[in-house]
Amino acid sequence: MIRPRERRWMAVAVAVLYVFLLAPIAIVVLAALNSGAYLRFPPEGLSLRWFVAFAESRSFTSSLRFSLKLAALATAASTVVGTMASVWIVRFSGRWRNAFRVLFVAPLAVPGILTGIALLIFFYAVGWGNTGFVGLVIGHTLICTPYVFLITSAVLLRFDRTLEEAARNLGAGALRTFWRITLPLIKGGIISGAVFAFVASYDEFNISLLLSGVGMTPLPIQLFDYLRFSFDPTAAVAGTISIGMAFVVVLVTQKLVGLDALYLGGG
Amino acid sequence: MGAPARDVLAVELVGAGPPPERRLARHAGRHVLIVPALAVLIVFFVLPYLNLTLISLMTPSHQAPYARVLTLGNYATLLRDPFTWRVIWHTLWIGVATTAICLVISYPLAYHLARAPRRLRGLLMILVISPLLVGVLIRTYGWMILLQDTGLINQTLRALHLPAAPLMYNDTGVLIGLVHVFVPFMVLSIAGTIQTIDPELEFAARSLGAGAWRTFRRVVFPLSLPGVLAGTVLVWVLTISSYVIPSLLGGFTVLTVPILVVRTVTELFNWPGGSAFAILFFVITLAVVGLYVRAMGHAGRLPDQGDDR
Amino acid sequence: MAQIVLDHLTKRFGDTPAVTDLSLELASGELVALLGPSGCGKTTTLRMVAGFETPTAGRVWLADRDLTDAPPERRNCGMVFQNYALFPHLTVEQNVAFGLEMRGVERAEIRRRVADILDKVELGGLGGRYPRQLSGGQQQRTALARALVVNPSVLLLDEPLANLDAKLREEMRFYIRSLQREFHITTLYVTHDQAEALVLADRVAILMGGVLQQYGRPEDVYHRPRSAAVAGFIGLTNLIPGRVRARGAGRVIVDTALGPVTAGGDPALREGADALLSVRPEQLDLLRPDAAPRNGANVLRGTVRERTFLGSLADFRVDVGGGVVLRVQGRPSAVERAGDAVAVAFDADAAWALPRATS
Repeated sequence: MIRPRERRWMAVAVAVLYVFLLAPIAIVVLAALNSGAYLRFPPEGLSLRWFVAFAESRSFTSSLRFSLKLAALATAASTVVGTMASVWIVRFSGRWRNAFRVLFVAPLAVPGILTGIALLIFFYAVGWGNTGFVGLVIGHTLICTPYVFLITSAVLLRFDRTLEEAARNLGAGALRTFWRITLPLIKGGIISGAVFAFVASYDEFNISLLLSGVGMTPLPIQLFDYLRFSFDPTAAVAGTISIGMAFVVVLVTQKLVGLDALYLGGG
Repeated sequence: MGAPARDVLAVELVGAGPPPERRLARHAGRHVLIVPALAVLIVFFVLPYLNLTLISLMTPSHQAPYARVLTLGNYATLLRDPFTWRVIWHTLWIGVATTAICLVISYPLAYHLARAPRRLRGLLMILVISPLLVGVLIRTYGWMILLQDTGLINQTLRALHLPAAPLMYNDTGVLIGLVHVFVPFMVLSIAGTIQTIDPELEFAARSLGAGAWRTFRRVVFPLSLPGVLAGTVLVWVLTISSYVIPSLLGGFTVLTVPILVVRTVTELFNWPGGSAFAILFFVITLAVVGLYVRAMGHAGRLPDQGDDR
Repeated sequence: MAQIVLDHLTKRFGDTPAVTDLSLELASGELVALLGPSGCGKTTTLRMVAGFETPTAGRVWLADRDLTDAPPERRNCGMVFQNYALFPHLTVEQNVAFGLEMRGVERAEIRRRVADILDKVELGGLGGRYPRQLSGGQQQRTALARALVVNPSVLLLDEPLANLDAKLREEMRFYIRSLQREFHITTLYVTHDQAEALVLADRVAILMGGVLQQYGRPEDVYHRPRSAAVAGFIGLTNLIPGRVRARGAGRVIVDTALGPVTAGGDPALREGADALLSVRPEQLDLLRPDAAPRNGANVLRGTVRERTFLGSLADFRVDVGGGVVLRVQGRPSAVERAGDAVAVAFDADAAWALPRATS
C-alpha cells in the first residue's frame, strides 16, 4: 500500500469496517439516551428517562451491586493467584514452562459453557449442592486468573533482568530486590491485569448462567432474561455502563502498559 | 573518599552466605508461588472436567440427576441419533462460515493496523479492543436493535420502499453477530504477524514489478499465514462454543451444540446425556482443529513461532 | 595481597563449555582488561566473579576470602553493567544511594556521600533527575558513581563504553582510568575492543573460546604474542611460517621461504620447531631497492602490489616472493606505488617468532 490512491481505498474500506465494528455499541448508547421506547431513525430526542428507570428497577440495581461485589472478589483472588503464578512460570518453571503456560490459559480456551456445566455437576458431586455465592466466586476466579496471568507474564518477560542484578550487586537480597525494584516496575502490568480481570468477571455470562441461583443474579444474567422477553431500553442503560467501563479499562491499559505490546507481541 | 572507610562497610556485608540447609529451604520456598494457582486449576478445572467425563458414563435417572450405573448408552444414543449429527454439523458449519467471513473482514483491518504509524496505532488498538471488553451480551443487544423486523435496518429499508429483510431469529442474524464479536480476535492475531513482516519486502516486490494485489498475494499473505492460522483456529473454536449469540439472535429456531447441551442439562435434567454430548463435541473439536493445523502445516511450511528464553 | 584470584574456573552451560580452567590473579589497585572476541567467555567470567553465575568448577577469591558460594549481595563488588542498569523509577540520587541503603548507612551520611560522589563525577545538581532524562555519558557516570560510592573491594566493568559513540568513548576511557587510579581500586574490565584494552590496562588477559591465551602487560601482549591467534587478534600483523634453525641469547634464526630471518623468540621454541614470524606493519620500513639497510637488519626484496591512503598512514601490500604478501604501514609521504620494486627492512627486535600449532 504505497501509492496515495491505494492508501485512500484502504482507508475507506477500513473506515467502513470500523463503523461495522462499533455500530452496535453506539446503537446501545443511543438507545439508552433515546426518549422513545424504540430506536427510530431519525431519533426522537434525548432523554435520561431510561437511566432513571434503571436506577429505580430493584432487580437491575441489585444485580448490578451483586455483579460489582462478585467482580471485586474474583479480581482480588485472581490478581494475587495469577501474579504469583506468572512470576513462578516466567522465572522458576524451567523446562515445564510451556506446559504450564498452556495449562493456565486453558480455562479461556475451552468453551465457557462446558466449564460452567462441569462446575455445576462437580459441586453437586462433592456435596455442595446449589452453592450459590462461593461457587460463583470460584468459577469467576477460574476465568479471571488467565487474564491476569497473560498480562503480567507479558510484562515480566519484557522486564530487564540486569536491573535486578544491579540491585543484588549493590547488596539487596532476593526478596528485597523483588520488593524495591521488580514490583514497582511491573506494577503497571499487575494493575492492568486486575482491571481486565474485573471486566472479565463483570461481563462473564456462561459460568454465571449455570451457577447463579435465586438472589444471586449477576447483571449479565439479569439482562439475558430481560432481553428474551421484553425490549425497552432499560437494558440499554446496563449496556452503556459496561461500555463506559470498557473504554476506561482500555485507556488505563494503554497508559500503563501499552496495548500493542500486550496484544501484538509474538504474532 | 578512598581506602579507609572501605573495610567498615565491607565487614557487615561480605561473607559466604547462609549455611547450605537454609539455602535449600529458600530455594524450595520459591515454588510456593505456584501452589495456589495450581490448586485452583486442579481442583476447580481439571477435576470437574474429569468428573464430567465420568458422569457421561452414568445412567440417566428420574429421581436424581443420575444413577450410579456405568454405561456407554449415552454415547450410543447420541451417535445413533441423526438429530445429534444435524446439530453438530450445523454448529460446525456456522463456525466455518463465521471464520471465513471474519477472515475477509479482519485482514484489511489487521494490515492497516500493523502498518499504521505509532500514534494512529494506539487509537486503532483502542477501537479494536474496546468491543472485546464490552461483553458479548451488550453487543448482541445492539445487533438486536439493528436487525429486528422493527429494527433500524428494516425501518430504513421500508422507508426506501424496499422489501424487509429477515435478519434475526435465523442463521443470518447469528452469523452477523458472531462475525462481529470475533473480528477483534482475528485482527489481533493477524496484525501481530504482519508486524513481523519487514515493510521493505513489500517495497522490494513493488520495485521488481509486482502491483499492490500481487505483492499481497505473493509476499504479504504467505508470510502472514502463521497469524492467519492462529486466528482461524481461535475464531472457529470460539464460535462453535458460543451460547449467547445463537440464543438471542437465533431465537428458539437456531440450534447449536452449546444451546442443546445447556438445555439437556438444565431443562431436561439429563446430566449424563448432556455431559456425553459435551464430551463428544469436545473430542470432535479437538480432532478437527488437529487435522486443520496439520493440513496448514503441510501447505505452508510455517516457521516456528517460539520466542522462549 | 592479590585482590581477585580466579582459581581454575570452569563454566559449562549444559554440554557447552563457556570458560575452561581459567586461573588469574589481580594485584591490589591494578586494572586488568579481560579481552577477547564475542562469545569468548569474558562476560561469563565477570558474572562468576560478581556472583550471577555459579562456576561448574574452580573457586573465586575476593580480598582473601573464598566467595565462590556467596550470593551476589554479599560480595561487595561494584559493578557497572553494559546497559548501565539504572533503576528507571528512582532518581539519580536514589540510584546512587541504593547500595548505601542496603548497607544500613544512616540517612544524613548517605546524603553526604552521594552529594560528594556526584560532584566528583561532575553530576552535581542532577541528583533529582531520572535516568531517562540523562545523556549516555551522564548515565555512564551515574552507574560509576553508584558502584563506587559503597567503597567496594573490587570494581567490575562489563563493556562499559560499548553503548557510547566513538568520540565519547575515547573521553570516557581516560575518565574511567583516572577515576580508577584515584580510588586505587582493583578493577576487572571486560571489553572486545583491543585498542581500549591496550590503552587502559595494567595487564591484559586474552580469552578465546573460553581459554586463557595470554596474560601480561600490554607491551608484552602486543610485541611478544604467544600464539598466532593472539597475534592476529591484537592489531594487525604479518605472519610468516618457518622453522627454527638455531637459537641463542634471546634470539632465534628462522628459516623461511624467503630466506633466514633473525628475530626475538618465544622461550618455548626449540631448534627444529615449527614457528611463525610475527612482524607488525608499522615496524616494516620501505626502502629503495638499492638502499643500504641498517646493520643486522633483515631485508626482503619485493614489488608493491597495492597502495592505500589511510589518512595518517599509507598502507602497502608488498609481494616478497614465496607466496608471501607483506602488509606495510608507513608515513603518508612514502611515494612508492603499485608496480615499484622495493626493499622491506626490519630489525631483529621488530620480529617475533612464536610457536606454530601443527594441526
